[in-house]
Amino acid sequence: MLEAHALTRAFGSLTAVDGVTFEVRPGRITGFVGANGAGKTTTMQMLMGVLSPTSGEVRWRGAPASAADRRTFGYMPEERGLYPRMKIAEQLAFFARLHGFSSKQAWGRADELLEFFGLGERREELLDNLSLGNQQRVQIAASLVHRPSALVLDEPFSGLDPLAVDAMVELLHREAADVPVLFSSHQLDLVERLCDDLIVLSSGRVVASGTVAELRGRAGEQYRVELDGDNAAWLRDVRGVRVTDVDGSIALLTLDGLSAAELARTVTGHGPVLEIARVRPPLSEVFREVTR
Amino acid sequence: MSTDTPTPAWRLVAEREISTQLRSKGFLISGAMLLVGLVAMVVILTLVSDRERTQSVAVVDARAESLVSQGSDLADQIDGRTRLEATSYDDAAAAEDAVESGDVDAALLPTSAGDPSAGYTLVGDAEVDDVTAQALTAAVSTAVTRANATELGVDLQALGAGARVETRLLDPDAEDNGLRQVASFVFVLLFYITALGFGMTIAGNVTQEKENRVVEILAAAVPIRALLWGKIVGTSVLAIGQTVLFAFVGVIALLATGNTHALGVLGPAIGWYVAFFVLGFVALASLWSVAGSLAGRMQDLQGTTAPLQIILFAPYIIAVTAGEGIKTVVSMLPIVSTMMMPSRLAEGDVPLWQLVVAISVTVVAAVLLVRVSARIYERTLLRTGRRISFGEALRSGTTEEAAPVGS
Repeated sequence: MLEAHALTRAFGSLTAVDGVTFEVRPGRITGFVGANGAGKTTTMQMLMGVLSPTSGEVRWRGAPASAADRRTFGYMPEERGLYPRMKIAEQLAFFARLHGFSSKQAWGRADELLEFFGLGERREELLDNLSLGNQQRVQIAASLVHRPSALVLDEPFSGLDPLAVDAMVELLHREAADVPVLFSSHQLDLVERLCDDLIVLSSGRVVASGTVAELRGRAGEQYRVELDGDNAAWLRDVRGVRVTDVDGSIALLTLDGLSAAELARTVTGHGPVLEIARVRPPLSEVFREVTR
Repeated sequence: MSTDTPTPAWRLVAEREISTQLRSKGFLISGAMLLVGLVAMVVILTLVSDRERTQSVAVVDARAESLVSQGSDLADQIDGRTRLEATSYDDAAAAEDAVESGDVDAALLPTSAGDPSAGYTLVGDAEVDDVTAQALTAAVSTAVTRANATELGVDLQALGAGARVETRLLDPDAEDNGLRQVASFVFVLLFYITALGFGMTIAGNVTQEKENRVVEILAAAVPIRALLWGKIVGTSVLAIGQTVLFAFVGVIALLATGNTHALGVLGPAIGWYVAFFVLGFVALASLWSVAGSLAGRMQDLQGTTAPLQIILFAPYIIAVTAGEGIKTVVSMLPIVSTMMMPSRLAEGDVPLWQLVVAISVTVVAAVLLVRVSARIYERTLLRTGRRISFGEALRSGTTEEAAPVGS
């Protein structure tokens, strides 16, 4: 388990990250969301040890994370970068060895990942000569090449087309199925699709965290009722529900004492019904709610 | 390597540094050009110092002509490469014209046209070549003394008994002055070129890593100090390798051109040069890395490396212009000693204590510089995007850094 414990980082008079505490559990993908400037990158840099915290600490498996621990982590910084004039296989092998792999392991692993991305035949090419999409793939491979014990990915999907995102997700599931994975993203739909857990950061503080289901639950479960022609305004008078919106024959309501089954009976007993459905609030709404 | 033990990070960084350089065309070409230049220098030096020269001497009578031919043998004995050649003219005026116009190098004329006992006058334009003057003076005096002795019935050998003066040189090295000065110049120039070339390479590579942003991945994987050490070791190995290669080629070239004598004179200086080079370069390498880490982009490099360029250029100027006293002091200063000491060694003997002082001071300086550099490097390497001033880098602690780009 990778933990941030009361992590704080000040730049002069500005406190970019203020007492951030969370945990990233193994085998789960944790999404890290927040507006621009919320402190995501700074937090991730402290997790990786490239930036030292003003106070607080990073813990790995219950103890303060050492340099040796961090050497086993995989990192994809927000600002992408590799050696442009280095052959891609050689480059990946170099990073694997920096993370403690033997030469033989490193080369085997570099080729394996390049094969996965369909770059096997181009292993001798310079990074510079690849398309931007392929460069991004090599960058992702660089963070996975040493079979990391934890993954910290800063905006890993930005700039990827949907197919590349799918390939990346497949790779994450395959390569990092049993390690803690923390990734930040602006693409909430993607976070919703991929993540098990979620941490929401706002102005340097954690404003919400938990499983995606828990956070959705916070916004309250809503039901959408569509009647066949009848005006839905009568639902306002039903006890045990709170109607939030009525638009002609459609009503949006939350249960306030009534069970879902009772709601269904009440509605169908009243007249013809087209649809009664539970509405899952999109994550963007949760996000707006907690960062408000 | 196929063992399963991981290689230390600094070694991996050093290996990458070396393999990247060895595959760079620019590096190979500039190295080859320096080598060719070095060999050419040795060859030219050989040609210049061995070339025979002929001094032509104007004469107006047969006696002077035979004196010049005797003088030629003497000149050859004096320096082994000068020969004298007589050119006849009708009269003294014509001979002097020839000297003045540069057709001949000197003229050997009777001092008084009608009186042989007045002797000879050696006429030159602005000066008379030393060897020529010595040889002709000796030839005239020998010939005339012999003639006079015969005429007076004097036993020449008895007359000359005990008058023979032999010369014994206490400082025979002085003879090699030309060679030594050239070698000393070559040492200074070679270190200047190598240190500047490799120094700019280190600084450039560091800045490139910042510019490419690869530095954040590197820093996340290994301690920043390991990155610095890898850079210093990798580049030093290359620079030292190149210097040893140059020294080796220089020695081979001296041997091949038959300059075994020069080798005897310069051998120790070449040895010291390599030793000083190692120390001086390591001390400098750390500073070059810092210069690279202070720059945000390649364009900033000229500015951040300027102080180092001056440190290298100053001794170059001193070596060429300064007097003995200043040279002696400067040659014991750290880093600068790398250029000055071997150059002084090539020019003549240097007291052992001065060598010891120079080496010790450089070792201490190298240790201090590497330490200070490591601290600055740790503080500045991850601050990408803009140039950082030296003072700023020294002042900033770990908590008061400027905000990085992004959130």
